[in-house]
Amino acid sequence: MKKRILVANRGEIAIRLIRAIQELDYEAIAIYETPDKNSRHLRLADEAIWIGDGPRKDYLDVEKIIGTALRSNVTAIHPGYGFLAENPNLARACENAGLIFIGPPCDVIENLGSKVMARKIMAEAGIAMVPGTENLPAGAKGLEVAMEFVARHGFPIMLKATAGGGGRGIRRIENEAELREQYLIARAEAKAAFNDDSVYLEKVVLNPKHVEVQILADKSGNTVHLGTRDCSIQRRNQKLVEIAPAFQISEELREEICRTAVRAAKASGYFNAGTVEFLLDKDNTYYFMEINTRLQVEHTVTEMITGIDIVRSQINLAMGHDLDFRQEDVRTRGHAIEMRINAEDPQNNFMPEGGKTISVYRSPGGYGVRLDGFCYQGFTIPEVYDSLLVKLTVFGWSWKETVDRLRRCLSNYVITGPKTTIPFYLNLVNDPDFQRGVFDTSYLETHEHLFQYKEDNSEVNKLARLIAEIHYRGENRYAK
Amino acid sequence: MIRIPQNTPAAEAIATLREADGYFITNTARDLSQSDYKNRILLHTDLLAARAREAAGYFSLEITGGASIHVDMLRKQVDPFLKLELLRKQMPKTMFQTLCRGTNLFGYRPYPQNVIRLTVREFARYVDVWRTFDFLNHVPNMQAVFEEVALAGKINEPCICFSTGPEHTDSYYVGKVAEILAVTGPDIILCIKNHGGLGTPRRIGQLVDALKQRHPDLVIHYHGHNTDGNDIGRITEAVLNGAKIVDASDHAFTGFYGPPPVLTVIQTLKEYGRTAIGINEEAVIETSDTIRDQRRYYAQFESQIKGFQPTVQIHKLPGGAMGSSLEQAAKGGFLDRMPDILHKELPRVQKDLGNYWSVTPGSQILWTTAVANVLDGERYANPSGDLKNLLLGKYGPFPFYKPADWIYRKAFGPDWKQIVEAEAGMPGVEDIDIEEERMALAAKLGTEPTERQLVLYLQHPNDAVDFFKFEEEFGKSYVLPPAIFFREGGFSLGERLTFKDHTGKEHVIEIGPIQKTELGETNVYLNVDHDQRLYLFEAEVQTGVATAVKLTKEDIAELAGQGDVRAPFAGTICAVSVEIGDEVAAGDQLAVIEAMKMQTPVVSEVAGIVNAVSVKIGQTLQAGDRIVKIDCHED
Repeated sequence: MKKRILVANRGEIAIRLIRAIQELDYEAIAIYETPDKNSRHLRLADEAIWIGDGPRKDYLDVEKIIGTALRSNVTAIHPGYGFLAENPNLARACENAGLIFIGPPCDVIENLGSKVMARKIMAEAGIAMVPGTENLPAGAKGLEVAMEFVARHGFPIMLKATAGGGGRGIRRIENEAELREQYLIARAEAKAAFNDDSVYLEKVVLNPKHVEVQILADKSGNTVHLGTRDCSIQRRNQKLVEIAPAFQISEELREEICRTAVRAAKASGYFNAGTVEFLLDKDNTYYFMEINTRLQVEHTVTEMITGIDIVRSQINLAMGHDLDFRQEDVRTRGHAIEMRINAEDPQNNFMPEGGKTISVYRSPGGYGVRLDGFCYQGFTIPEVYDSLLVKLTVFGWSWKETVDRLRRCLSNYVITGPKTTIPFYLNLVNDPDFQRGVFDTSYLETHEHLFQYKEDNSEVNKLARLIAEIHYRGENRYAK
Repeated sequence: MIRIPQNTPAAEAIATLREADGYFITNTARDLSQSDYKNRILLHTDLLAARAREAAGYFSLEITGGASIHVDMLRKQVDPFLKLELLRKQMPKTMFQTLCRGTNLFGYRPYPQNVIRLTVREFARYVDVWRTFDFLNHVPNMQAVFEEVALAGKINEPCICFSTGPEHTDSYYVGKVAEILAVTGPDIILCIKNHGGLGTPRRIGQLVDALKQRHPDLVIHYHGHNTDGNDIGRITEAVLNGAKIVDASDHAFTGFYGPPPVLTVIQTLKEYGRTAIGINEEAVIETSDTIRDQRRYYAQFESQIKGFQPTVQIHKLPGGAMGSSLEQAAKGGFLDRMPDILHKELPRVQKDLGNYWSVTPGSQILWTTAVANVLDGERYANPSGDLKNLLLGKYGPFPFYKPADWIYRKAFGPDWKQIVEAEAGMPGVEDIDIEEERMALAAKLGTEPTERQLVLYLQHPNDAVDFFKFEEEFGKSYVLPPAIFFREGGFSLGERLTFKDHTGKEHVIEIGPIQKTELGETNVYLNVDHDQRLYLFEAEVQTGVATAVKLTKEDIAELAGQGDVRAPFAGTICAVSVEIGDEVAAGDQLAVIEAMKMQTPVVSEVAGIVNAVSVKIGQTLQAGDRIVKIDCHED
């Protein structure tokens, strides 16, 4: 009997995992909450198991998922990203239940999941970090420590929830009055959101680039990096566009960052796939930010330029195999760009378009084009999950070729029903700064014109609308 | 073979015409479109015809002006300037000709001088021959146009509007021509504008002869209509007596109220030894062969009444107004009253009102008055605002005699003498602040308008803005053939429509199914360049047609007396003069309603405060629809 792997996730990443599992000749077991009953991942899996009405409840229920896994005779669980991916409890429960967790060990997840622990480990390894405090002591003492920090490093600073992440639990503080006002609120909110009121401070690096390094590590101490990614184009700290390798920085700097990432991973006793995130400021000084102990959404760009299947590697590593290549075997070539096509209205503050039905779905193809998606014509987007429909990843030899290919794909992409980020991305690929590869985390704020576009604005679509109206009314009311 | 290519200096062109042995032909495609197809012939069809028309060697192609500027935007959704620009590319040699209503330009009432001059300047970039008329033959009404045309170096073609009757003598017209020449100088073309196709061939021959006797060097352009089927006869007599240019159009499209066929003119005059100068007969035939199969798509715009109408000699309606008049009669359900209106009342009204020339906007005043007189059962009971303006001499002086006092009394009431004394005469339209208009348009469009957009806006403000918005939403739809643009009853499932957009890119649209959703929305599926697309149409809200109580004229009058002001007849609101909370006195204007291009002010019969305004500019009303509600002051 084939080994079975449970896919503890949904949407496009569930399909990505199922593909790798089936390629390795394992069986993929999907789970789903009721709102996902029409999701494509159920059809592609070898078996799909309903785990509850949800929403976002059963996918987060460690006990239920372990129980389902045991009843289905699975060998391993892949958590994907989000949901339980960085929850040490799932990794621990797997260990206890004799299941393989496809990811790092639970104590590594736990250590790196705590911002303070992570900083401690990196400090010991001598890795540069954005200056920051440990967890602030409770009460008035906390504010005192904060003011001392500010005296050394100045404003602005970030006030962060220790248990936060993914852009949540972060607030920027510009002056003392704000600090005094926000401090207690931040604690209360952290308590409410993460059941942990620990907060700490960090110096703000102004308009940095977000650069990260993909790591793979086996149990024999072989830790390799797969090069850099630039994820600077974000909105509200959520990534929209990712590229590999990080662009417009020197080869030497890139190498140095990668070596540092490997050191950081080793210092934390890392195993399996992970991502070491850095901030890179205007003077090319880089600071360690955090290690994400999971598969990243944007892993596709790295796969495109290295040829290494990261998910397949993850499974092999978890199943006890060592890496079958060394650092010197890893070569990156060309450029890759990934755009997250979300069912959102960029012109309305990226308001999600959940609940709408996709009436037309036509995707591009051809050389250098990769799609990781899960929607189809007639699919109604559940309102209760995230709005990612499909990741469009393109590869090209030169940056220009890659951008040209991306433009071609975006202009041929037809999704009607929900509004999507496609027209916004079309503006983006036509922006001279993007074309030169000049962008940092302030890109969206400083490029307001990207938000000026009209949906469906081509000449033939305008004329088609008139023809549709003539057809509908049985006459041309603009000619009467 | 002589040809006067466009851009020839005016004086040189006139000299060539004077010396030419034979006659030239103007292809009046615009007049044909207006008279026989309610102005709907699309640019698409004119572009199809362009190459052969260019080769045909016409003196000019009359392709713009008249009502076409308005209808281009309102019903054909094409920019009148772009139309000329695209045709010019296909027809580099042929002169383009326009028909300009003098001070009324391409509209229905006088424009300010600075608007007239700006408009002429912009159109003169494309238009070589300017045929200008005034429906009262009042020369000062045309002067601004004459001056700007001369400044632009283009050819002035002033008209004498022609009609029949005891006042319409040779000596009158000869005198009128002298009056024109005194203003323009000798280097003009003089047009005999016979827009009704009135008079016999003999009468036209006499008139041309009389003009040539007095002014031997005068270049005469005869313009007629074939409403009675006899325009070939009039053209023949005109040419035999010395006219140098005549009007006709392509036989594939000739109908009953417009120009006669070019080829018939050529064949007839050949018998008399007169040569059509510059004309390539094969190209004339090829033009019709090229566009013949397009005619069927215009059938819906052809007149309700088919066949020649020799009775035009009695009712004198111009060819250009026949189609729209008959359409109005059909829509208004009084087609059966047409014999009374056309053959009895219209001739009476014409005599009543001074026997002037039945042409825009005078023809609309005659027609609406005659219709109202017959349908109301009482003559002059409901005078339109424009009739009142005519009576007050605001368009110009009556050419022969003033209407009788009783008509003034009917129109203005017992105090008519004081009113006429106070208000009579031409007011002279004051210049407007064009920069202010430009800003107003910019605000409406959200972008800086082009000079052309501004000019179009100054002609027809509401309709121009609607057109600009249409283009933004539906693109440059002039690329669509009439088979698509005028399609009736929808397309058939699976039908393939192919066309090139304005950039020349080829597209194919396949018609998919139509579905109604449970919410009453309609989904229309099209396959656009092989991509499946869905177009959603919301359920239409039924306006309260079914529940509306039909109000009689008496009801409407009674309600008006109580401050409940209703539309006296069906029409479109073209101005709203009051807002909620305004204090109004009896006699104050509340709104202006337009029907058949004629505007009628709606005035308050009571004093009070406006408490509701139920209409917007551009709104179409049925008789009895609420316009304004006024709380009457207690007496």
